[in-house]
Amino acid sequence: MRIQRLSISGAIVASLFFAAWLMNGQTRDSQAIAFSLVAGGMFGYILQRARFCFFCITRDFMDQRDASGLLALVIALLVGTLGYHAVFGLFLPDASAGRLPPDAHIGPISWVLALAALVFGIGMALSRSCISAHLYRLGEGSIGSIPALIGALLGFGLGFATWNSLYLAAIQQGPVIWLPTHLGYGGSALLQVIVLGGIALLLVRAHKKPASPKPATSAIAALVQQRWSAPVAGLAIGFLAVVVYLRVAPLGVTAELGSLSRTAGDQLGLLPARLQGLDTLAGCATVVKETLLSPNGAFVIGMVSMAFAAALPAGDFKPRLPSASEAGRNLLGGVLLGWGAMTAIGCTVGTLLSGIMAAALSGWIFAVFCLIGVISTWKILQRAEA
Amino acid sequence: MLNLKKSLLAAAGGLLLTAASFAQASEFLVSTEWLEKNIDRDDLRVIEVSVNPGVFERGHIPGSVNFRWHTDLVDTVRRDIIAREDFQTLLQDAGISDGTEIVLYGDTNNWFAAWGAWIFDIYGVNNVRLLDGGRSKWEAEGRPLSVRPSNYTAGNIQLGEPNTALRAFLPDVVEVAKSENPSVDLVDIRSAAEYEGRVIAPDGVNELAVRAGHIPSAVNVSWGEAVAEDGTFKSADELREIYAAAGVDGSKPVITYCRIGERSSHTWFALSKILGYEVKNYDGSWTEYGNSVGVPVTNLAGTVWGGQ
Repeated sequence: MRIQRLSISGAIVASLFFAAWLMNGQTRDSQAIAFSLVAGGMFGYILQRARFCFFCITRDFMDQRDASGLLALVIALLVGTLGYHAVFGLFLPDASAGRLPPDAHIGPISWVLALAALVFGIGMALSRSCISAHLYRLGEGSIGSIPALIGALLGFGLGFATWNSLYLAAIQQGPVIWLPTHLGYGGSALLQVIVLGGIALLLVRAHKKPASPKPATSAIAALVQQRWSAPVAGLAIGFLAVVVYLRVAPLGVTAELGSLSRTAGDQLGLLPARLQGLDTLAGCATVVKETLLSPNGAFVIGMVSMAFAAALPAGDFKPRLPSASEAGRNLLGGVLLGWGAMTAIGCTVGTLLSGIMAAALSGWIFAVFCLIGVISTWKILQRAEA
Repeated sequence: MLNLKKSLLAAAGGLLLTAASFAQASEFLVSTEWLEKNIDRDDLRVIEVSVNPGVFERGHIPGSVNFRWHTDLVDTVRRDIIAREDFQTLLQDAGISDGTEIVLYGDTNNWFAAWGAWIFDIYGVNNVRLLDGGRSKWEAEGRPLSVRPSNYTAGNIQLGEPNTALRAFLPDVVEVAKSENPSVDLVDIRSAAEYEGRVIAPDGVNELAVRAGHIPSAVNVSWGEAVAEDGTFKSADELREIYAAAGVDGSKPVITYCRIGERSSHTWFALSKILGYEVKNYDGSWTEYGNSVGVPVTNLAGTVWGGQ
């Protein structure tokens, strides 16, 4: 049985690489798509193996004082911060010139960003996952993630509908604050390392070891069966984030979902004809689709299929039908996730992870308000259940 | 004896073919092969002007410098090209001195690189050439790219007053449009749909006009007509034929225009540099003309702004 599952997993990995090889052509676009397919696959594999779900790692800490997941996130941000700063030195040698590095997820700051992050956090607690985790959960056979992702598509639609008013009310005037402009690369990297290091220290002190982690029996078992440790997951995600930014664009998982929603809305005539300023802002921006497969679409396909390849040998592939109330809650949570991700121009991956690594104040603000949303909603839900 | 003659003929033919494959349509173009061989020369500066941000940073021709069309080459507040002092500083920072040879290249068929060449020409910078086929040909041939930024000691180039003979303004084109017997050939390089007035602008662009159509007496030769399959310019003879077929043979001065003045620089380059015609680029283009009050317009399709 184990060999069977390993073989299927191996076949999926091989097919992904084969598909990437087939797609990789002479043009820059085809190379970006092939690269994104493999990178998305690696991202999905890591997320599944490390159970790197922003909601779960927060809940583990709140309920059991198990800080390993949050520690993995902080390590990823530390590695990413250093790597991003190294890349920035190539892309934009003079940080003080008043320009921003190309494509980096550095967004405008306003109350809208805080509200969007808060709503996203509430959606996470309601649907028990953020968007990236719902995607990798699909690979674990989580049928309940389907209503959540459908909800997210609807939420994107709502986000487009409210965008113009929010943009004119606040986003347009919001300052875009990139720490290296003010502190230089050295100062900005140092500040982030100190803050992240401080958070890591607090987490380590508060951490209580979970009851019974089974000891690894072999290297293979450690790789394919046991949950990856925080440093391994953090290093892997941080490293991948930097390489992906260098080659294509910052990590993000919502651009394709948003584009699907925008294209559908556009064709049904439900969207405003112009989304003011959206195409000039950096982040997981959405476009009306012109090609079937975009780099971000390839990234998401790679992510889901490799999460499946990772889940199978580990025994994590457990398809389960959600109850009606669970499906309803996931749908509602998904709508909030979609609205929050569209309005904040990215989710926990695109705005939080890629934003903080890029030393964008918007990334930090998203992190704080998202956390407030998750924790408060989770506490209310627990009280209601009790 | 016969065999020897055959071989000699074949060899001569081979030489001719080789020479032809090296030849460019103009002295104002360099081939990708030439550039790769000369890339280390100190008196040569390669400049990328691409439409899309992030392209240069993720791999450019080694040693090249990035000029951003939307901030480096224009006045960002009023609609105008970059001021002389600012352009001079930009060039000096790129290590350009009076004797430096300059090669421009960019993505999307050198649209903005050609636009850059027009600005260089306006400010009287000599020794400027385009990389024939641009960035896509360089990439397609698998030539090296680098992500390292280049840092040059400041150059000492001094710029003169702008040469207005290369630039057409609204009154110039209105005069042509109103003339019964125009002394200038207007070339509209936009798509046929825009020229005929079936659409005001291509899908997805933000800069619009409130009238559809074209400037009276303008002929329509889309910019792409000047380009061969591999992205290089067609030969001078082919180009001469294409424009002559539309009635533009260089016997009169020419004004090129498009929607915002960028793709028309590509045709400006073909007509003025490769064919040696007297050409002005009208950078106000349709976004200025099509919004102007009281100017004559030819609208073949009869499209009405705001609906019939």
